[in-house]
Amino acid sequence: MKKNDVILIAVLVAAALAVFLGISLYASMSTESGEAVVYLDGKEQGRYPLEQDMTVEIEAQGKNYNILEIREGKAEIREATCPDKICVNHRPIEKRGESLVCLPNKVVVEIENGRGQNLDGTTN
Amino acid sequence: MKRVYRAVSLVAAAALAAGLVLIQRNNKETKLYETKFFDSFDTVTSISGYAASQEEFESQTKLLQEKLQYYHRLFDIYHTYDGINNIKTINDAAGAEAVKVDREIVELLKLGKEMYQKTEGRLHIAYGSVLSVWHAYREQGMQEPKQAALPPEELLQEKAQYTDISNLIVDEEKSTVFLKEQEMSLDVGSIGKGYAVQRLAEYAREIGMEHALISVGGNVCAVGTKKDGTPWRIGIENPDLESDESYVGVVEMADQSIVTSGDYQRFYLVNGKRYCHIINPGTGMPSEYFPSVSVQTKDSGMADALSTALFNMEFEEGLEFVESLPGVEALWILKDGDIRCSGGFEFHEKK
Repeated sequence: MKKNDVILIAVLVAAALAVFLGISLYASMSTESGEAVVYLDGKEQGRYPLEQDMTVEIEAQGKNYNILEIREGKAEIREATCPDKICVNHRPIEKRGESLVCLPNKVVVEIENGRGQNLDGTTN
Repeated sequence: MKRVYRAVSLVAAAALAAGLVLIQRNNKETKLYETKFFDSFDTVTSISGYAASQEEFESQTKLLQEKLQYYHRLFDIYHTYDGINNIKTINDAAGAEAVKVDREIVELLKLGKEMYQKTEGRLHIAYGSVLSVWHAYREQGMQEPKQAALPPEELLQEKAQYTDISNLIVDEEKSTVFLKEQEMSLDVGSIGKGYAVQRLAEYAREIGMEHALISVGGNVCAVGTKKDGTPWRIGIENPDLESDESYVGVVEMADQSIVTSGDYQRFYLVNGKRYCHIINPGTGMPSEYFPSVSVQTKDSGMADALSTALFNMEFEEGLEFVESLPGVEALWILKDGDIRCSGGFEFHEKK
């Protein structure tokens, strides 16, 4: 085998490995920090990193709203106009796949990316 | 020899390049999408599935969404819709006439009657007259918590006279339904969603979705496995809302359904005491045995019916009942947080 052939093969293998590693590294990096994703009637309204404390007013239909609070890496609904208050009574969420649902206002807050179990769904 | 090496290295290079392209293409093909909508069964529906593009996924889930809406209208007890006879139409014609209905309603009511027999009345679709009283008091109590009250016993007893399921006449050949007594009414809330999810799963297959997860308000049905052949992972929600743990554990499943009945989401408070939305036909009162019961089996309608029935039975009786049914498993969460499972329930408990 010519020296050049060996180099060519080595370079190709190295390049392939680099691309592969790059892809997997990118994939794992993008799942590192969790975000609270707000959906209104199924449509994405915004993404908020859990690392940053903040308060977000989610405007639902009519004069309805839910106040989303992110504090110390957890998200919760602090206040809402819905009659049942199921979303307000729900525990704060922080792990991937956990969600807060407000049926009357058609609001869902779901944690995407970040730490947590790999769950595809929940039964409740 | 030189040529051979050159050829080998070229082939190797080509193989690597092809491999890379394949990795990329595979990533594209196996992308998992999810969508949520709110327009059916007064709850949130979530569908996960694989598609080549967002557009393809949306065109599939749009069909599912429309199909689910159709079932929602058929099984609605509060509203009538132009051009269809639904459960409310049947209730409105109680004591007067038989109503011609869609085949799907006949099938649903057949399931309801069968489950009534199997569960000795713990699952009771002709219990509408009593359920509507509780519904009205619960709504009122949620709107004005200070005035929240329990329905008077005499009223519940009076309404309970009109709950004889043998007065529900289903004529399969003519596809008609007749309630013999004017005061009686159907409430299919305990099986309608589950039945619809089962039909939806079958429809998903028909339109080419071989790997999908459908959840209508926690009525979860797995169509096939995930695309890589592994089972879908479903968390069972922790009914203890004070706890930091969202899930008590995880169930892995393929071509199976799981449905949970619980007291911790839909309830109202009277003098600080919680009264849930599931009414035990045996007592006429909200069921108080467990915070939650989950049932896993193939058919989603069956799982829905059984989870309600088990919610209305003491644990020992329920366990014996489940063990007598082939292909049915259940998980009970007791008031003190303890978990009990039927013999074949495979579940990864979270410690």
